[in-house]
Order: sequence, then structure tokens, then C-alpha cells
Amino acid sequence: MSTAVIDEVDDDLWSAIGDPTRRRMLDLLLRGDGTATSLGQQLPVSRQAVAKHLAVLDRVGLVRATPAGREKRYRVDDAQLARAVAQLSSVGSAWDARLQRIKRLAEAIQHTQQDSFPH
Amino acid sequence: MEFGTIEREIHIDASPEIVFEVVSSPEHLREWWPDDARYEPVPGSEGEIVFGDPAAGGGTVGFAVVDVRPPHTFTFRWTHPVGEVAGEGNSLLVTFELTPSGGGTRLTMTETGFRERGWEVAVLEQQYREHVAGWDHFLPRLAPYVATLVARP
Repeated sequence: MSTAVIDEVDDDLWSAIGDPTRRRMLDLLLRGDGTATSLGQQLPVSRQAVAKHLAVLDRVGLVRATPAGREKRYRVDDAQLARAVAQLSSVGSAWDARLQRIKRLAEAIQHTQQDSFPH
Repeated sequence: MEFGTIEREIHIDASPEIVFEVVSSPEHLREWWPDDARYEPVPGSEGEIVFGDPAAGGGTVGFAVVDVRPPHTFTFRWTHPVGEVAGEGNSLLVTFELTPSGGGTRLTMTETGFRERGWEVAVLEQQYREHVAGWDHFLPRLAPYVATLVARP
């Protein structure tokens, strides 16, 4: 059973990307660097709200900021995003566990049928 | 970066007919995945699967049967809100492919749609971690139980 990975999921990281607006922001930033202003223009939320969301993403390391005039310019941190994706793949380990159960069930049924109809 | 698809393959020492029954029938689905499953295993059937106790914060999501070709292919969509028509963007597409292999079956599972739905699903599954942990308790007891069934005349 490979469910252990699920227990290792980083709560802060997940709550950071658990928000649809922040995921949308990550999607936008994956296409190119952005500022709170530029992101705000592409999202139905205020610049202030965007800045708050960026701070959350920054705190968990998903984005990195560099000064750009009076604003900060943000880009996605590839390594941390890769880590988040690896945690997403814990969904894959959930499938591993399901497939193991499918295997056991099917093989148990197969054995039962062989016993019922001896060769 | 591609994280839109996961693919798994497993060998099962059981005939494709049996494996097909296990991956496609709601009765069996309940044994290896959700706590409850309500759908007809026929193309176009719109149903639902339930995780945990809905009265105690559990979750119910849509389950739409796309393709049924016994004993070769079973395809469905899930995670869309119950009542919505399942499609790209609101659901994950799961395909089981069964191939006869060495007296048993090679079962291939692909799940696509994570680009759009992955976060939601990961969070959903995280919420029902207890459901998975429950299986960890249950499985070790399942094998002896099955053995007693087989031993009966």
C-alpha cells in the first residue's frame, strides 16, 4: 500500500494552492513574470487582493519576488512547483492503492471460481 | 510541464472477464474505492460516488459512464458536481484497459484532466485521507476473510 505519501502532504503548500484564485495566478505566472498590477488586470479581483495572494504564494516558496520599481515582480519557483506537483502525484499513489485492491479482489474471485469448478 | 495525466499498469492473476467486472460494477467499486456508488455500468449513465458520511462532512461527486466494452475497456468521468453534465474541464477521465496476459490480465489505468482538476482532486482526496487509512485497516483482514469463503463447500 502506498498511501504514505498522502500523509506527507505539506499543509501550507496545499492550502496555498488550494485556492482557485491563487491557482489561476500561478497559471498566469507560468506564462511569464508578473506584478500585482499586471495580474490584477487579468483577474476579477482587486490589486490589493492579488498582493495578498502573492504574499501567500511567496510564503510557501511557490513564487519569488524581485524589486521592480515601486512594485515587486514575481516569477514561479520551479523547484517548489515541482515539489507541489510531486505531492499532486500522491493522487497517483492513491491509484496505486486502488489498483492493488482491484488486484486482490479479482484474484480472490478467480480463486473462488477455480475452487467452485475444479479442473 | 506535463502533469495532466497519470498512468498505471498492473498484472492481475485473474481473467479479463473477472477484472472487468471488478473495475466496472458499482457493487465491486464500493469494495475498492468509494463508500458508495450509484450508477448503471452502461454508456451515458449519470450517477454518483460517495466518500465518507455525507452527513458528517463526506463528499459526493458525479460519476458518468462513458464507454463500456467488456472485457476490454471501461471509461468514466468523475469529480464533476452531481447534476452537471460531465465533460472536459469539470471532471477527470479514467480509462481502464484490459489485455489478456499470461493466463491473467494486464490492467492499464489512465486518468487525465489534472491540468484543470488536479488541485481540487488532490484536496478532495486529502480530505478523505481517513477513508484511505480505513482501507489500510481493512485490507489485512480481507485476505483471511476471502480464504474462509473459498474454503467453504
